[in-house]
Amino acid sequence: MAAVTNPFTAGTWVMEPKPQNIWGVPHTSWFFAMGVGGALFINRALFGVELGRIMGMAVADLLSMILIGIGGLILIGDLGKPLRVLRALLNPRTSWISVGAIADFVFLILDGLWVIADLEWQGARPFAGLPWAGNSPLGIAFQVIAGAAAFIVIVYPGLVLAASPSIPFWNTTLIPLQFLSFAFASAVGLALIFALWLPVPPALLTTWAGAEILLLAATLLLFVAHLIQGSASHATAKVSVARLLKGELQVPFVWGTLIAGLLLPLLLGLYGAFAASPAPGWLAISALLTLPGNWLSKYTVIKAGSYAPFL
Amino acid sequence: MRYGMVIDLKKCIGCTGCALVCKTENATPPGILWLRVVKQESGKYPQVRRVSVPLQCMHCAEPPCLEVCPTGATFQHPNGIVDIDAEQCVGCRYCMMACPYDQRFFLSAERTYFPGHTTPFEQAGYQRHQAGVVSKCNFCTPRLNRGLEPACVANCMSRARTFGDLDEPNSEVSKLIRDRGGYQLYPELGTNPSIYYLPP
Ligand code: SF4
Ligand code: SF4
Repeated sequence: MAAVTNPFTAGTWVMEPKPQNIWGVPHTSWFFAMGVGGALFINRALFGVELGRIMGMAVADLLSMILIGIGGLILIGDLGKPLRVLRALLNPRTSWISVGAIADFVFLILDGLWVIADLEWQGARPFAGLPWAGNSPLGIAFQVIAGAAAFIVIVYPGLVLAASPSIPFWNTTLIPLQFLSFAFASAVGLALIFALWLPVPPALLTTWAGAEILLLAATLLLFVAHLIQGSASHATAKVSVARLLKGELQVPFVWGTLIAGLLLPLLLGLYGAFAASPAPGWLAISALLTLPGNWLSKYTVIKAGSYAPFL
Repeated sequence: MRYGMVIDLKKCIGCTGCALVCKTENATPPGILWLRVVKQESGKYPQVRRVSVPLQCMHCAEPPCLEVCPTGATFQHPNGIVDIDAEQCVGCRYCMMACPYDQRFFLSAERTYFPGHTTPFEQAGYQRHQAGVVSKCNFCTPRLNRGLEPACVANCMSRARTFGDLDEPNSEVSKLIRDRGGYQLYPELGTNPSIYYLPP
C-alpha cells in the first residue's frame, strides 16, 4: 500500500519531541567502562602501550578485563530479568546488543586465559607451558580474536544508539566514531597518568602525548560535526542540539565535555608535550580531565536523545 | 495474509472505550496502556479542529523493535502481527528505544490497582504479565485464535475500527484505505505500519 502523509496535520507536529528517559547513568557507565577497557587492551596488544605489571600480571590486560567486566555487570544489573542474560546472545544477525554481548564474553574468556599464561611469579612464568602462552600460534590467535572483540566492545554501544530510527539525534555513524576516538584518548590518557610512576623514556612519552593530542582533536571535531549535522538534519535532532547547547544539558555538555573534557586537555597536552621538554605532570593532568569528559559526553548524548513526534 | 486495522477518525468520538476494553480484555497492570486515545488539535482560532486519535502498536511490516531485540523475544507471526514471547524477554528495553510510536511498556515490578489488595480479576489476569519484561498490543491474538475480532474493534460503539487482511485487495480494510485515502503515521521511517487512519 503506497504511503500517504497525514492530511490532517499537513506536516505540522501535534506532539512535542519526547526526551527518552529509559537510558541514563547505568548505561553511560557501561559504555564508558567498556570503551576504555577495550582501548587499553588494543593499545597494549597492537601498539605496545604497557602500563607496567601488578602481582605478576600486565596492568593493561588486567584493567581492561576489570573494566569490561564492570560494564558487563552493569548491563546485566540493568536487565529486567538478569538471570536470563545468556539469551541476549541469540540474535547477532540484527541486534547490536547481541553482537556486543557475544564480544564481551569472548574478550573476557580470551583475555583471562592470556593473563593466566602471561603470569609472572617470583621471577618465573609458572604457566608458560600452556599452548597459548607467549608468541605461540595459538597465543597470537587469542590476541587477535581478543583484539577484534575489544574493538567491537568499544564501538557497539555507539552502534546500538546509531541504529535507533526513532531518535534522530542518535541516528548517525558519528556516534560510534566518537565512542571510538574518546575511548582511545582515555586509554592513552591512562598511560600518561601511569607514566608518572613508570620509567617511560621522554621520546616515548612525547609519542604518547602526540597520539593523545591527535585523538582529542579528532574527538572534538567529531562532536562539532555531530552538532552541525544534528542542527541541519531532522527537526527533532535540532531540539536535541538545543538541549545540549542551551538547555538543561548545557553545563555537563559544553563545560564538562567540550571545554573541560576536550579543549582544555588538548591545550594542556600541547603545552606538556611541546613546551621545553615533555612535562609528565601537565600531561597527566590533561589525561585526567579526559576521563570525566568522556563519561559526561556519553551521558549528555544519551540524555539529549528525543523521540521524534509521530502525530 | 497481513492483518491490519483501519481507524476512521471521522467516526471516532474519543470515548476511550477501546482503551478501557483493552485493559479489561488483557488485564494490563496499572501504568501499562497498550491502547490510548490522544487528542489532536490543529488550526488557529477560530478555525480550530480537535480530533481523537487512538494509538496502539502499529504492527509494522518492517518493525524496528524486532530487529534490535537481542533474544528474539520479539517476533512476527506469519499473519504480520508483531508479538513478544515474555519467556524469552530479558527486559533490556532496547525495543522501547527503537519503537518510533512509543507503544512498548516495561513492567518494572508487580503493581495492583488497590494498594495491598489484589482483586480476583487481577489475580487471574496478572498471571499473563511478568514483572521485568516488556509488553504491548498483540491485536488480541488469543481472541483471533478463537475466531473473534480484537476487543477494541468488537466494542467500538461508533464502529470506527475495521479489522482485516491488508494483502487482500477486496477486503473491507483495503477498500477503505483505497477509497477514503487511508494514511499511516510517520511513513517516512519506512516501518510500514499495519494501522491506517481515515481522515477526519
Ligand atoms: S509500533 Fe512499535 S512496537 Fe509496534 S511493531 Fe511498530 S516498532 Fe514494534
Ligand atoms: S526488552 Fe525483551 S522484547 Fe524488548 S528488546 Fe529486550 S529482550 Fe527483546
